[in-house]
Amino acid sequence: MLADLPILSLITFSPLLGILVLLFLPKHRSRWLKATAIIATILPLLLSLWLYADYDSTKGGKAYEETATWLDVSLNKEAVGEVGSYQFELQYHMGVDGLSMPLLLLTAVVGVMAALASVHVKKRWKSFYIWFLLLEIGMLGVFLARDVFLFFVFFEMTLIPMFFLIGIWGYMNRERAANKFLLYNGIGSAIMLIAFVILVATAGFRAEQVPEKQQTNLSYCGSYEVITTNLTKADSYVNMSTEQTQGQENPFYLSERMRWVIFLLLLIAFGIKLPIFPFHTWMLRVHTEAPPSVVMIHSGVLLKMGAYGLLRFGVFMFPAVAEDWKVAIAILGVVNILYGAVLAVVQKEFKLVLAYSSISHMGIVLLGIASLNEIGLHGAIIQLISHGLISALLFLIVGSIYERTGSTELKDLGGLARSMPFISGILLTAGMASLGLPGLSGFIGEFLSLLGLFDSQQAVTCVAVLGVILTAVYVLRSILGITFGAMPEKLAAVRDARLIEAVPMITLLAFIVLIGVYPAVLTEPMKHGFDTLLQQLSEKAGR
Amino acid sequence: MDTSFSQVAWLIPLFPFVAFLLLLAFGRGQRTLGVLLGSISSFAGLVLSILVLIEHMSDGTKYYQYSFKWLDFDGLTMNAGYEVTNLTALMLVVVTLVSFLVNVYSAGYMKGDERISVFYSYVALFSFSMLGLVLADNMLTLYIFWELVGVCSFLLVGFWFSKPEAKAAAKKAFIVTRIGDAGLLLGILLLYWYMPDHALDFVHIGNVFDGQTGIIAASVTTWIAILIFVGAVGKSGQFPLHVWLPDAMEGPTPISALIHAATMVAAGVYLVARTFDIFQASQTAMDVVAYIGGFTAIFAATIGVAQNDIKRILAYSTVSQLGYMMMALGLGSMTGGIFHLFTHAFFKALLFLGAGSVIHAVHTQNIQEMGGLSAKMKITTWTFGIGTLALSGIPPFSGFWSKDMILNTALHEKPVLFAVGVAAAFFTAFYMSRLFFLVFMGKPKGEQHAHESPASMTIPLIILAVLAAASGFIQTPWNNTLGTWLTDGAEKEHGGAGIVMVISAAVGLLGLYLGWLVFVKGTIARDAISSRAPWLVRLLERKYYMDEIYEALLVRPLRGLGYLLNAIDEYIVDGLVQLVSGTAVWFGRGGTRVQNGQIQTYGVVTVLGLIVLLVALVGRRFW
Repeated sequence: MLADLPILSLITFSPLLGILVLLFLPKHRSRWLKATAIIATILPLLLSLWLYADYDSTKGGKAYEETATWLDVSLNKEAVGEVGSYQFELQYHMGVDGLSMPLLLLTAVVGVMAALASVHVKKRWKSFYIWFLLLEIGMLGVFLARDVFLFFVFFEMTLIPMFFLIGIWGYMNRERAANKFLLYNGIGSAIMLIAFVILVATAGFRAEQVPEKQQTNLSYCGSYEVITTNLTKADSYVNMSTEQTQGQENPFYLSERMRWVIFLLLLIAFGIKLPIFPFHTWMLRVHTEAPPSVVMIHSGVLLKMGAYGLLRFGVFMFPAVAEDWKVAIAILGVVNILYGAVLAVVQKEFKLVLAYSSISHMGIVLLGIASLNEIGLHGAIIQLISHGLISALLFLIVGSIYERTGSTELKDLGGLARSMPFISGILLTAGMASLGLPGLSGFIGEFLSLLGLFDSQQAVTCVAVLGVILTAVYVLRSILGITFGAMPEKLAAVRDARLIEAVPMITLLAFIVLIGVYPAVLTEPMKHGFDTLLQQLSEKAGR
Repeated sequence: MDTSFSQVAWLIPLFPFVAFLLLLAFGRGQRTLGVLLGSISSFAGLVLSILVLIEHMSDGTKYYQYSFKWLDFDGLTMNAGYEVTNLTALMLVVVTLVSFLVNVYSAGYMKGDERISVFYSYVALFSFSMLGLVLADNMLTLYIFWELVGVCSFLLVGFWFSKPEAKAAAKKAFIVTRIGDAGLLLGILLLYWYMPDHALDFVHIGNVFDGQTGIIAASVTTWIAILIFVGAVGKSGQFPLHVWLPDAMEGPTPISALIHAATMVAAGVYLVARTFDIFQASQTAMDVVAYIGGFTAIFAATIGVAQNDIKRILAYSTVSQLGYMMMALGLGSMTGGIFHLFTHAFFKALLFLGAGSVIHAVHTQNIQEMGGLSAKMKITTWTFGIGTLALSGIPPFSGFWSKDMILNTALHEKPVLFAVGVAAAFFTAFYMSRLFFLVFMGKPKGEQHAHESPASMTIPLIILAVLAAASGFIQTPWNNTLGTWLTDGAEKEHGGAGIVMVISAAVGLLGLYLGWLVFVKGTIARDAISSRAPWLVRLLERKYYMDEIYEALLVRPLRGLGYLLNAIDEYIVDGLVQLVSGTAVWFGRGGTRVQNGQIQTYGVVTVLGLIVLLVALVGRRFW
């Protein structure tokens, strides 16, 4: 019955309901505003859980696909001769598959938790929550879109709310951070758009025969399926070099080198988001300046869009190029891991430790991607989910600690385990999850990524394993610095978690433990998610 | 076959796990719940373990293995499961027995602590993890529990978290063992990709490496073995990763007995024994194990001579004894290694719990501040004395038999290591007699109101004393019961033990006698050495400057690198991007300046644009 509903659109746009209600609420009724926003984030969570329960990995997400023509732009028919139609199709095309299902769930879960964590917001609740819900719509849409232009629209939809959320509700240097955020991501988007336009103009070209009318319909579109199939099918236009077309000029042909260029563009565009060294400096500012609940979203979900895009467009569409570049990607991953970890060791501010730790952990994702095998790709996705949950949890705690102590400088904190044993316990467990303790989610992602990569790149993996040690160093240094040791006088009176803080903490931790103990919750929907990609890779290897 | 006890062996770790969960949920503010749940669950585990062991000592097939798919998708199947072999059955009893006694003992020792239920929940979690480690049927499952015991150890070392020393020690314990764990992880990765069918379970590992058919290349085998050993080095405190273990004594003393003497630190030895076939397939790896073990034995024993903290002396002793075990394994005698693990678990747990009893009474850990306790603490003195004799290798106490077996093997395999072992045995006896005489003999020092500990603490001492005295008889030169049972008689026996027995007993007695001469009789001045060679004593007191070496070689460079990169990140990486954005702004400014209304300027821009377009069009051909 679920297939009869436009479930994907419902998930994506259900926060709109919240926005509508918020618009009619008076702006000083903070309790009502908060409650509305929280409920509005619970809607997509429930719907996504429903979808998850109904999802059958053997069939994939075909049953839920939704398509509607958004805009057909007719192009000049005379230019191409006798055809039925010649147009540029903008499609509203939503779908879900093994790659997006886990990320959808992550977004929905982190969304609710961040909404709960936003109780610490002190001013202008109404506009805060409206931006927040818009942001959520954008994120959900990014993972559900099946058309490059739709993807782009949703992707941009996340930027603007983030800009305001950082710029208005952040800490001291919020405006600079917001500007920097917009600048970097704007450049990333521009590069992404260039890559998309090239893709649509070449691989997005379709010629459909209509036998009864004895004519051909020509069109350009941005559908993932069309682009991916065209790129991989030997007899499609993009793959016909001039020699194959008997000297006729083929404007759709993508040469090897052109593919490299597109791949590089995508790598940079999504590398900024991920972030890949040296494009990471903007996210440090966001981590330190944005309000913690926004960082939960940022670190928990937005960074994942980078990895998702890299996989979806870079690797899925250009498996052959990815194969050529896998050593480079793995090395980028190792650089991320070690660079982030070494820097995290010397930071004096807990939020910066976590920011560099994010860089380090996203490096593991790159390793998983670089493995280009089933094990590593599973590892990469699980690492995405796991890091999303863990960093959301960590920033949730950061928010609670800041609320009580007014500082996240390591030197101001200490011995909190005495006055707030509950929060300290959760913090320590989150740290353990972050350093890859088995039984918690971090281990699965890390282990599978390393295991997958080891098959083809043993030396790189060995270097990457050093990160495992360094992670322990910075996690323990910072977290023990906060929870263990002597407690500064003025912190003696701080209280432990309130219920509204404890609920999201426990929930996030429960997911972290669940994935760690029973990873099938994630691997089950991911089954067959990489089938076509791996098939193409093995074909390439066979040739 | 009917249901056997081995089939339900999974219950053994489950008991403490349930206790842990219950304490986690209801433990807050409770004082007696922890003692109750901890003791009951560990006792239940003990009973079941003994039943399993009895079953395994009787005839007939009793091997049992069960596993299920844990991580499973196309291209990967990872199982989790448990198996019960003779070795695991023996370890189960050791772990549950010591764990039960420590649970009982802690009821007295930790009585005044307000976080006693937290303590018990950690201990329960540890017991669960340790038993899981013992029962694991494959490398991945073992690794998972391996990490979990590490975390429990970390939590318990840092139990008194407000103390800066405890915080530092906990951190150090975790990070140093983590270095070893990274090696083990790599070993598992290597094993996974080279094993036929990617099997990681011990049965397949045994078959592949045992057959000597060369399924896996010799160099790879060596690497796998060495990497696994790196894990064992970290966990079992072997040189050069031993530095965490003495510091770990910041934890409550019952924990030192349970985790840092009897069970977890022996996990490294157990791991090597579990994967013994891999090691035996590579002579290089065996040599590495043997020499590292031998070196650690003498290295730590000499440090033990110069320490004054009662627990640290015992900690270095543990490091040294673990070295003996590793040496035995490296010499090809799994029986020797496991036998010493077995006896050591009892006498070292006894010594630590005895030390705990002493600390409980005098509230100091410095042996120079103690003295004459034998008059006030009869039970502690007697039981501690038995532990001392067992550790010093005096017949007929248990340590004598197991050490004798190792030395005997060494004499036949590598005489150099025999010499090292004998020397280490001498130092062992000497530092133990120094410890014993300083603490229990002589005159009481200071205003001490020492008294015997409560029954909850002395009864475990008595039980352990009986075991420390008698447990050596399961394997003597005349009766190879343990060896036959553990290895199905596959391991070669070394006859002619007479001379070794005489030497090892003599060396032990000599060490004790010397200690008596120095610290009781006073025939030899206490500063006999320190006055002649102060540098030597300082070298030992400072533990061969190992901590300083680590500080200089690893910690500082890492921190320095961090600061360097931090500066680069701030000024260069960030700066470059600033430059790029600055350029964009500059272009924008330039653009506005170009729009000045003069036709000439527009003309230049047009021509430039045309050139760019042309270049782009022509250039496209070359793509």
